[in-house]
Amino acid sequence: MAGSKVNIKAKAKASTILEVLIAMVLIVVVFSTAMMIFANVTHSSLSVKKIRAQAVLHEVLLNAEKNRDTVSQSFNIDDFRIEQEIKSYNNVSQLFDIHLTAYDNNQQKITDLEKVILISHE
Amino acid sequence: MYIVIVIALVIGLLCSSLIVAAFFYRIEYQKKFRYDQLDNNLNSGINILLAGNDTSYSSGRTISLFNNGADSVTLKRIFWGMYDIGTSVTFIQKDTLYKTFSIAYNIDSTKWAALYLIDEERPVSLSGKTAIIGDVYIPKAGITTAYVDNKAYQGDKRLVIGKKYNSNKTLPLLSENRLAQFQQLTNANHSGDSLLNHIDSLKQSFLLPAKYFSFKKKIQTLSNIKLSGNVILVSDTVINIDSTASLNNIIVYAKGIHIKSGFHGNVQLFAKDSISVDSNCRFNYPSCLGLLRFDKPGIVAVQEKIHLGNRSTLSGIIFTYEKNESILKPMIDLGKGVKVIGQVYSQGGLRTKDSLEIDGSVFTSQFLYQNSVTLFQNYLINITMNSKALSSYYLTGDLMPVAGKKKKVLQWLEAK
Repeated sequence: MAGSKVNIKAKAKASTILEVLIAMVLIVVVFSTAMMIFANVTHSSLSVKKIRAQAVLHEVLLNAEKNRDTVSQSFNIDDFRIEQEIKSYNNVSQLFDIHLTAYDNNQQKITDLEKVILISHE
Repeated sequence: MYIVIVIALVIGLLCSSLIVAAFFYRIEYQKKFRYDQLDNNLNSGINILLAGNDTSYSSGRTISLFNNGADSVTLKRIFWGMYDIGTSVTFIQKDTLYKTFSIAYNIDSTKWAALYLIDEERPVSLSGKTAIIGDVYIPKAGITTAYVDNKAYQGDKRLVIGKKYNSNKTLPLLSENRLAQFQQLTNANHSGDSLLNHIDSLKQSFLLPAKYFSFKKKIQTLSNIKLSGNVILVSDTVINIDSTASLNNIIVYAKGIHIKSGFHGNVQLFAKDSISVDSNCRFNYPSCLGLLRFDKPGIVAVQEKIHLGNRSTLSGIIFTYEKNESILKPMIDLGKGVKVIGQVYSQGGLRTKDSLEIDGSVFTSQFLYQNSVTLFQNYLINITMNSKALSSYYLTGDLMPVAGKKKKVLQWLEAK
């Protein structure tokens, strides 16, 4: 390379300023669209938190059925606050409607679960 | 130049596969979430059926559990002989879950006894290797030992290993409600196929209407056939059931039923006049042999009879009932070496033979034992009655007077 002559008259390949601008605009448009879709998907997709909350609610439900629990209460499990609401179902003596709702630290509802359970005190 | 396109394609492929994987993961998780919700709804429906006696479910009813969408359940409870059949069907979009199950009752421990013999002012006599384990309701005349067939009593010195109570002059009554349902079954004019010849296997789901076969006055023999589920066989005359017939959970109602030697299955048999079971038959739990007579006896009295042949085993219930008492009371005749795991309820007499074992309870008006020369009344000879040998999971039908109030799932029949 050393000692070789540079041909300053030769034309270098390049884009015009218009082409570069169009390309930049396209890149910005595509990128911003992709980010919007990504944000949308991440917002509506399943979070680990929701899955965990559902598992916790299932366990609470099983325990309530097993312990014949008919008391409405609020308690904390892991990072969740669980609201347990139990009321009589259709005025049938042994039937109860149990409604469990899980909230996160920001008191935002994550998920809920509802079931009719049979509790007889025989 | 080409390498750029290739790299772009590879990157595009990787990205799209990641997106597809995420998409399917999400779809599958949503499906799982839906099925969890369906499972909750399904079990809610089962609990509703177990808790109440609402007759509006007899023809099926769709309800919204919590009035907030995606919580529809179709519930149905139908009469199925000694028991009820419940069906719970729930659906969200195209996903459906269902369960069909039989419903039975727990035993009321305050009424439960190994033996209930009505008080006809005659004592109960024990002889041979007889054992009575569990509480008993016996006549005020008490219980004593006797010497029969050159054999003395060889059992426990306490005679009864359990508490003794005085019995009444009549048996505890069968449930009127269930008897009314039986009467509907026996009185209804069932339309259905009259031929079974072209069928060698039939399994009818309890989600579908019952499949009736009405043989009218033609004697029918069931052999080399498999019948299972929601099937009811009705006849105005005799039905013979061969050992090659495989019956599972079905109901048979006829004037007379004859089960041939070696049969085994799970079936509820109800007859107006007689049920005759040959030797070495086995009826699995929950089976039932029942004699039901609702009409008045004819001019010529015929004794209704259930006969269980030698070495046969029945797990379930044997009972007799006649609405209008006749001179010849219905009889249950248990052969030599017969084993009953469950309940025997005889409005009339109970004829016994040697080596009879009843793991459960016997309610009867009288016992009969015949040797070559003599007929003994209220003699228990070489019989074992053990109410404690019955499984704690045993469930009974609400027809029986010892049925408790709590309903439970007896058997899961179909599920998805």
